[in-house]
Amino acid sequence: MELLLQTLLNGMLSAGVYALVASGLALAVGVVGIVNFAHGEFLMIGAFISYLLFASRGIDPLVSLGVAAVAVFLIGAITYYGLIRPVLSAPELNQMLLTFGLSVLLQNLALLLFGADTRVVSPPYQGSTLSLGGLSFGGVPLAAFVLSVLILLGLYWFLGRTRLGLAVRAVAQNRLAPGLLGIETQRVYLLAFGLSAALAGVAGVMLSVMLYASPTVGFAFTLKAFAIVVMAGLGNLRGVLWAALILALAEALVSTYVPGGGGWVEAVFFLVIFGTLTWRSWRRA
Amino acid sequence: MKLEVHNLSAGYAKAQVLFGLSLEVAEGELVALLGANGAGKTTALRTVSGLIRAWGGSVHLNGQSLAGISAARRAKLGLGHVPEGRQLFPLMPVEENLLLGAAFLAWEHRAAGLEYVYALFPRLRERRGQLAGTLSGGEQQMLAIGRALMGRPRILMVDEPSLGLSPKLAEEVLQTLAQVRSEGMGVLLVEQNVALSLEVADRGYVIEHGSVVLSGSAAELSGNPQVQKAYLAL
Repeated sequence: MELLLQTLLNGMLSAGVYALVASGLALAVGVVGIVNFAHGEFLMIGAFISYLLFASRGIDPLVSLGVAAVAVFLIGAITYYGLIRPVLSAPELNQMLLTFGLSVLLQNLALLLFGADTRVVSPPYQGSTLSLGGLSFGGVPLAAFVLSVLILLGLYWFLGRTRLGLAVRAVAQNRLAPGLLGIETQRVYLLAFGLSAALAGVAGVMLSVMLYASPTVGFAFTLKAFAIVVMAGLGNLRGVLWAALILALAEALVSTYVPGGGGWVEAVFFLVIFGTLTWRSWRRA
Repeated sequence: MKLEVHNLSAGYAKAQVLFGLSLEVAEGELVALLGANGAGKTTALRTVSGLIRAWGGSVHLNGQSLAGISAARRAKLGLGHVPEGRQLFPLMPVEENLLLGAAFLAWEHRAAGLEYVYALFPRLRERRGQLAGTLSGGEQQMLAIGRALMGRPRILMVDEPSLGLSPKLAEEVLQTLAQVRSEGMGVLLVEQNVALSLEVADRGYVIEHGSVVLSGSAAELSGNPQVQKAYLAL
C-alpha cells in the first residue's frame, strides 16, 4: 500500500514538468500550426543555460529560471521569424522536415560545444527530502512541481483573462478573421512560438537539477510531449494537464511494478500514443 | 470618410479575377455590389480589406492610400469586413467573439459596444454564453456582423449576409444594415439576392468579369431591363 502511494506520489510530481513541456508544444501545434520536433531542444538549451550559470558563477537554478525564460523566449521568437514563418504555408511534410533538421542541428551544436557528458546542477538543497506519514518527497521534485503549477496557472490566466491571450486563442480557431478585426496575426504567432519555447526552456532548468543537462536530454521529452498532446487532442490545452498526469502515473507504475521496469519506462509514451489512437479510431468506427 | 477603389486588378496565383474595378462608398450610404457567381464580388472585398494583394490600381480610405498596409492596419483605420462564410471562433462563446471584434480597436468602448450590438441583435444577448459553433445560421450571421461592428468601423463591407438564411431572417439582417447606415456608417453590401438588396440599398454597382458594367441608384437599377432580365427574373 505504502509502495503504491509512494509510486503515485512520484508520478504526480513528475507530471508538473511534463505538463509544462507539453503545454508549450500544444501552443506551437495548436496556435502556430507547426509540428515542432525541435521542441525538446529548447528544453536542452534551458538546461545548459542553468548549468553554465551554475558552473561559472554559482548562480542558483531558481534565478536561472528567469534568465532561461527570457533567453529561450527570444531564441524561440528568432526561430519563428527566421525559420518557421517562411514555411507556414508550405506542405506539412516540409515543415516537419525543417523542425526535425533543426532538432538534429541543435543537438550536434551542443555536442560540439559541450561534449556528450551529462552535467548535473547540484545546489546545496539538491538531495533534500521531506517525509510525511511514511511517504518521502524529494525537495527538488516537489519545488519543481509547485513551480510548474504556478507557471501553468499564469499561462491559463494569460490565455483566459487578458486581451492578448484572447487573441492567441482566436488565432488558434480561425486564421482569417483575426486580421480583419485589427489583430496582427504574425505578432500573435511570434508571441505564441516564443512562449512555447520559453515553457520548454524553464522545464529544462528544472531538469538540469532533477535529471541532467546533455545534448540529447530534450529528445525524450519531445516524444513524451507529443504523446501527451496526442492524448489530449490537438488544440486542447486543458486536456494536456490530464494527459500529462496519466503519462507520468503510467511511467511511475511501470517503473515500480514491472520487473526491470526502469528500462521499460521510456517505452510507455509509445504505448500511450498507440493506445489513444487505437481507442479513438475504435470509438469513431 | 470615403472608400475609393480605382481601376483595381487582382486575382489568385495566375488567375486574374478583377479587371479594372472602380467604385466608391461614402459614410451614410448603403451601396450594393451585384453580380453573378464568379463575377469577382468576394475577391473585390478581399482585396480592399487586404486579405489578398492588389495587382494594380488603388484603394483609398479617407484620402489615404492603402497600398502596402496590412489587413489589421486597415481595420484600425476604420474599414470593417464581414467575410464570406462568417469566419467565427466556433469554440468561443458569443460574447468572447464580440469582444475580439473590439480587442485591438476600441477596447475601452467594449462595454458600450456590447450594449450597442445586443440592442441591435437581442437574440445575441440571449445566447451570449453559448459557443458560436452551436448557433443557428441566422444567429451566426448576426454574430459576424455584430463582431465587425464592435470595432466601430466607418465603412463596413458585408459578404453575402443572406446566404443560407430564411427569407424572413435575410430581410431582418438587411434591415439592420440599413439601420446602421442611417446612423452614419457606410455599407458595401455583396449579395446574390438582388431584389432584396435593391430594396434596402441607396445605390448599386453591377459587375461582370471583374469590372463594373452598370451603376446607378437602386431605383434606376431595379427599373433597368438588363438587370430585370439577368438578376430579377422578371
